[in-house]
Amino acid sequence: MTTQTFSVTGMTCEHCAGAVTGELKELSGVTDVTVDLVAGGTSTVKVASAQPIDEQDVAVALDEAGEYRLVAQ
Amino acid sequence: MTAEATGFDDQPADVVLTIGGMTCASCAARIEKKLNRMDGVTAATVNYASEKAKVTYGGTVRPEDIIATVERTGYTAALPSPPAGSRDAAAGTERDEHGDEAGAWWQRLLISAVLAGPVTLVSMVPALQFDNWQWLALTLAAPVVVWGALPFHRAAWTNARHGTATMDTLISVGVTAAFVWSLWALLFTHAGAPGMRMEFTLPNARSGGTHIYLEVAAAVTAFVLAGRYFEARAKRSSGAALRALLDMGAKDVAVLRDGPGGRSEIRIPTDRLAVGDLFVVRPGEKIATDGVVVAGASAIDTSMLTGEPVPVEVGPGDGVTGATVNAGGRLEVRATRIGSDTQLAQMARLVEEAQNGKAAVQRLADRVAAVFVPIVIALSLITLAGWLVAGGSATAAFTAAVAVLIIACPCALGLATPTALLVGTGRGAQLGILIKGPQILESTRRVDTIVLDKTGTVTTGRMSVASVHPIAGGSTDEVLRLAGALEDASEHPIAKAIADHARDAVGTLAPAERFVSHGGRGVAGVVEGHAVVAGRGSWLRDEWAMTLPDPLLEVVERAESEGRTAVWVGWDGLVRAVIVVSDTIKATSAEAIERLRDLGLRPVLLTGDNGRAARAVAAQVGIDAADVIAEVLPAGKVDAITRLQRSGRVVAMVGDGVNDAAALSQADLGLAMGTGTDVAIDASDLTLVRGDLRAAADAIRLARATLTTIKGNLFWAFAYNVAALPLAAVGLLNPLIAGAAMAFSSVFVVSNSLRLRRFPAAA
Repeated sequence: MTTQTFSVTGMTCEHCAGAVTGELKELSGVTDVTVDLVAGGTSTVKVASAQPIDEQDVAVALDEAGEYRLVAQ
Repeated sequence: MTAEATGFDDQPADVVLTIGGMTCASCAARIEKKLNRMDGVTAATVNYASEKAKVTYGGTVRPEDIIATVERTGYTAALPSPPAGSRDAAAGTERDEHGDEAGAWWQRLLISAVLAGPVTLVSMVPALQFDNWQWLALTLAAPVVVWGALPFHRAAWTNARHGTATMDTLISVGVTAAFVWSLWALLFTHAGAPGMRMEFTLPNARSGGTHIYLEVAAAVTAFVLAGRYFEARAKRSSGAALRALLDMGAKDVAVLRDGPGGRSEIRIPTDRLAVGDLFVVRPGEKIATDGVVVAGASAIDTSMLTGEPVPVEVGPGDGVTGATVNAGGRLEVRATRIGSDTQLAQMARLVEEAQNGKAAVQRLADRVAAVFVPIVIALSLITLAGWLVAGGSATAAFTAAVAVLIIACPCALGLATPTALLVGTGRGAQLGILIKGPQILESTRRVDTIVLDKTGTVTTGRMSVASVHPIAGGSTDEVLRLAGALEDASEHPIAKAIADHARDAVGTLAPAERFVSHGGRGVAGVVEGHAVVAGRGSWLRDEWAMTLPDPLLEVVERAESEGRTAVWVGWDGLVRAVIVVSDTIKATSAEAIERLRDLGLRPVLLTGDNGRAARAVAAQVGIDAADVIAEVLPAGKVDAITRLQRSGRVVAMVGDGVNDAAALSQADLGLAMGTGTDVAIDASDLTLVRGDLRAAADAIRLARATLTTIKGNLFWAFAYNVAALPLAAVGLLNPLIAGAAMAFSSVFVVSNSLRLRRFPAAA
């Protein structure tokens, strides 16, 4: 069980947080997602999973959810 | 094959859908992304502000598929009602929609208030409690809770599906809890007995089961509906700016057609103009569309694009822009761009993009609720668990748990923002500040930069005579008498400035005979028997063989270095004077800039006019030369604002012209001069009615004061209820406490808002 923390930009409201959570949860192996929303700024997303997730997959999932981008920590 | 709107062959079809459930621009972006990813969809745009999606599709995609995709993303989509035939019909529909919205809230409010009134009265006053009163209260309160609060229930449900909570969730949960609890109490406890009276005793643990909270359910609903109604009334259509822009084009145009009998002129609607058509523009008319001058020479008023007050000279071969005004002579123009390719259409797109790009900040009250609701629900569960663990009965446990839910619903929450906005906007109106978008006042970021348009905002936009310089031994009055009379015959703004000034100085002007206008070079005529000429120095020298004296040349050089225009005047073969004409700076502008600085704002001058004029004006009003951005087109103005925003500043903008509209939309706070164009007024958030720049400082202070009041109101709305939470958790809640919390918080919110009435204008 590992937890990875990502910085994500582009979220402005709770709907965004919900969409991001939904998309990330669909990645295989992900057990839990928590979003610390900073509207209009850089939000923190914690992903708990059985195995570490590839950052690339996370970026793709974020892109699928909307205009969200991974930024360097 | 049915006659549905399927794309067949390779013909793409278009559909416009109304999208519901979006709370911010990111939602729109997400839907847009999903739609664009659909097979068969060639283009999709979703506009958050107008709640519309426009999709171009082909192949086997059907509108139903598009709707399904939107719904899968978590929103609603519907085909709009039968399309409007003309632009005016569409405009009317949108205005109606907003009127309807306020009307719908009013209806709901009225009925709920009418029902809630008696319920509250009879619940609060024991003397009025006749036998079986509680059943009447139930009957009256039921429609309020079920129908009156329906918008909140619906919104709460949608939010729950997304896993979020807003103010609607809080209201819905509280009202439902109060009602369901009361219903249960009436049916299953002795609260339903005919002789029941609700007394107002101090809280004691035994009376938990007999309380009903119908008045809480009904009154809270009524209060929150009142708040929504006020807000709906204040909302103005955001599409107004775009419509006003598009209305600016000429409606019809005189086209020259070659026929059997030679060339003839036909008037056709501008829509039917085609690229390559030759059309005529008479003095005073609007140019129908972008094109190139084929014949004729004139001066064009381009203030729409550049803000420059001085008309631009054009002749054959020069390009002209649609919707600008021909100030001089007759022109024949060949159309090069029509419809959505024209400059005017591009400006409209700029405005639309700027409006779309603004992510609406989530409403303050909703943000508070998003945090508060989960806490309350948790508290309620903890209370339930706590009671059961402590050995209490299931009834007592539920009583306490539900009591927590009931008391947590702040009655004044729905009024906190609207009352402050109402009083704030009212006070603003008294001070000549019209606040259009209430939401903008909630923006919690503090403005630190204020961008000012030059022409019409800092300056009057009208040319006026700055100084008159007669030659040695000459008289100013004589110069004005003769030059004024001559210029009176011309329509050019510079001529009018001279003529008006002359009239003020010497009275009635003599008529000018044999008046001839020589395009951009000057005018000539006979006044009082003298052959008078006025115009460019080079023209007087070359055409009229007049020598230009050195002292006057120095005057001209100095004037031009300040971006002013110099008009040479001569009669009977000799140069007699130079008249310097310039845009006038408003008397109040310098003071206004100082006040804005005092508020902590950095002023920036942004103009389409030339750099020298801009810097001269900036120096006179107190703006640093480094903060002057000149010679920018409308798109450039938007870029300037965006650049400032990207560097982390919160930007307010003051403008008046059509060329400011997009920038005003892009700015965090847009202020329009009431004396300016309708387009600018519609594109901005605040209007300074009297065109006095000092009101901008007042407006910023008022916005800040209103925001502070809203925050204070939210605090008080919650404070009393939160204070009562512990009482509810231990089962000591009774309608007296609930009613007191409601009353106190509402009174405080309203009186706090009324304090805004005493907001002072700066001395």
